[in-house]
Amino acid sequence: MNVRNWGWIVGCVLLALWGSQPAAAQGQPPPPDAACRLCHADSAGTMALPSGELLHAQVDPAVLEQSVHGLESAEPVYCTDCHGPRQRYQYPHAPSDASDRAQYRADTALTCEQCHDTAAVHNPGHLQATTSSDLPNCVDCHGGHAVAPAAVLRADPVGSCQQCHQSYPDEQLSWVHAEVTANFGPGQSCETCHASVPPSEDALCQSCHSLLAGDLTLASGEKVSLHVNPADLVQSVHGEQVREGIPYTTLRCTDCHQEQARQGFPHPQPDAANRRQRTIALQQVCQECHLDVYESNAGGVHAQHLRDGQLEAATCTDCHGSHAIQEPDQPRERISQICGNCHAEIQSQYVGSVHGAALIGENNPDVPVCTDCHGSHAISDPTTAAFRLSSPRMCGQCHADAAVMDKYGISTDVFSSYVADFHGTTVTLFERQAPDEETNKAVCYDCHGVHNILPATAENSTIIKANLLATCQQCHPGANENFPDSWTSHFRPSLEHNPLVYWVDLFYAVVIPLTLSGFVLFIGSDLFRRVREHFQRQRKEPADV
Amino acid sequence: MSSPPPRKEYYRFDRFQRVEHLLLIVSFTTLAVTGLPQMYSLQPWASFLILGMGGIEFVRVLHRLAAVVLILGSILHFVALAYRLLVRRVALTLLPGWQDLRDGLQALGHNLGLVRQPPRMGRYNFGEKVEYWAVIWGTVVMVLTGFMLWNPIATTSLLPGAFIPAAKAAHGGEALLAVLSILTWHFYNVHVKRFNRSMFTGYISHAEMEEEHALELEAIEQGRAERGTDAAALRRRQRIFVPVAAAITGLLLVGLYFFVTYEQTAIATVPRQQVEVFVPATPVAEEVH
Repeated sequence: MNVRNWGWIVGCVLLALWGSQPAAAQGQPPPPDAACRLCHADSAGTMALPSGELLHAQVDPAVLEQSVHGLESAEPVYCTDCHGPRQRYQYPHAPSDASDRAQYRADTALTCEQCHDTAAVHNPGHLQATTSSDLPNCVDCHGGHAVAPAAVLRADPVGSCQQCHQSYPDEQLSWVHAEVTANFGPGQSCETCHASVPPSEDALCQSCHSLLAGDLTLASGEKVSLHVNPADLVQSVHGEQVREGIPYTTLRCTDCHQEQARQGFPHPQPDAANRRQRTIALQQVCQECHLDVYESNAGGVHAQHLRDGQLEAATCTDCHGSHAIQEPDQPRERISQICGNCHAEIQSQYVGSVHGAALIGENNPDVPVCTDCHGSHAISDPTTAAFRLSSPRMCGQCHADAAVMDKYGISTDVFSSYVADFHGTTVTLFERQAPDEETNKAVCYDCHGVHNILPATAENSTIIKANLLATCQQCHPGANENFPDSWTSHFRPSLEHNPLVYWVDLFYAVVIPLTLSGFVLFIGSDLFRRVREHFQRQRKEPADV
Repeated sequence: MSSPPPRKEYYRFDRFQRVEHLLLIVSFTTLAVTGLPQMYSLQPWASFLILGMGGIEFVRVLHRLAAVVLILGSILHFVALAYRLLVRRVALTLLPGWQDLRDGLQALGHNLGLVRQPPRMGRYNFGEKVEYWAVIWGTVVMVLTGFMLWNPIATTSLLPGAFIPAAKAAHGGEALLAVLSILTWHFYNVHVKRFNRSMFTGYISHAEMEEEHALELEAIEQGRAERGTDAAALRRRQRIFVPVAAAITGLLLVGLYFFVTYEQTAIATVPRQQVEVFVPATPVAEEVH
């Protein structure tokens, strides 16, 4: 240790003067480090460390007083509390063990532990500072003499961290931190993620993604929003709830985003070349919980198209959403809106139909929504012969059900009268016997329309008298004006409707039993005579013998 | 048939008549077997039969083929009948009369034991006349209604549309009546009561003649049977009949062709509603990602 002698002599004199003053005159005992302050207040001295670095001896007393450890504070800290042991600092001070400035600071910081349980309140990463001079110690953040309380640090948390963390080795880390710190809300700080007690995996995800406003750019140049509102998930069907008696906890981010769970942060760039492929790839995870639905969907037309490479075909999240998944049928009209996202033209037809208008206008619970006819997951291809052949039964499920139809005054004879007619008989037989063969016989929607079905009384209806011929001519191009009347319009034959059929039926209902009973009676009488004659001959023959 | 009968038998049906009957058996049976399942198509037994016969569309083709055979047979019968009446001038032995009603009532009375003597009947007894005219009536109804169902567009160009479903009702009702009549009246009278072979062999036994055609038998025995027409007159009439009959037959055949091919009622493939399936909504109703 190299000492400029004159400096220490001055200090010694001042200490002697301080010590000669009677304590009673001060009103209270002098602080135990009064002598330290006396010398170091305006010392221009330095201490050279083995590394060649110099330590300046001057300490600004005002800085000490204003710090959280100041003499006026509740529990003042004296110079020797930290710069101990006291003996070492008896003048002349014993040489420091530190070989360089960093070690000196680290050694000093160790003394914080005398009062502060640093492990309890500090980021474990930084506590490793004691084993590596590259990492910060207490004084690096809190300051040495100008010790800042935690509240002061929290007031500008980013600033104090950024003293060291000004740049990141990774571009992703760099912009994520820039964006997250720029968007900090009240109470949020670096510690939100980098807390002394590590936050849960989910909290880690959410703390960034709730603050991120930017996009992830995929190889294709498409952008995927990185912002996630954690409340969306909590309030979704995947939030904490009891379902059918089974309690569920909120789904964790990494339950679905498993790749991120494996790789941690920073996240690897997604494999998917574009947004669509990423969406499709992510759906694989749904089956882990929803296997039955997933398998049922795999047999559906959407999954088939996906397998065939038509990537626009719907997958789980296209209909259900991702984070904010709600019951798809609450309210019921939501179903048609969801389907309409991709099938807008059909949706617009449906909205104008008798079914769609009742659904959207009145939230009618009886009218079919898309899924009632097409199914939800195992959606069959509606262009197949099988779908067409089974469609009348599908319509009949409601239209032959008096419990539903009576409310609207709609006849439930429509299905049975259709099946009894040429078209319906053929279609029913085909459905039973050759379900994959095409038939040219009409099904319900050939006449009534598919998605654009109108009430049978509507002005534009395909089946009102004025339009029926044109409807028939779709399949019967040669049909004339009388031709539509050959259709019995779903009415049972009666005096009012189809009277000609009624009379013919009545005629045969009388003539057949009458004729047959005449024949049978005559045959009976003939048999009666023959049996009688047979026995008469038997009686006579023995007598003749 | 060609060898003389060993016992006393009487020639009843010539070869032509027997062929007509065979045609009728084939067409009628086919029509019944392919038609009744269509009438009751959704009954399990009918579905089963339809499936067994190759499906409803093929059953319909079979039914129409059999209908063509029936109509051809009818034309044949019509021409042959005309020949017998106009050229050979046979007696109108099949015309029904009051005597048939009396015979029927007497037979019934006799069966019930109320009348001692059974009726003595001519070449065609009341039971056979009922059958013959039932076949005539039935064929006319079935051919007419069948035409309507086969050619509904042609029919509705002349008649109101309501005739088509009415024709369907009549076609079914008449078919049922015909089949049930054959199964009861015809089968009892010529198969159950006694197997009458005359429609197959051409010959009828003396006993059957006595029982069912006593008056005809008497006429034959007394030599009052039909005299053959003299050859000159026959040839003269044939000269007129053959061209006229050929012309009428030709017309009828043209009519049959018309019947079969007149219209293509419906197109073979139903047009599909063309609608663009994948049309993303803009903006989407609900943002999902």
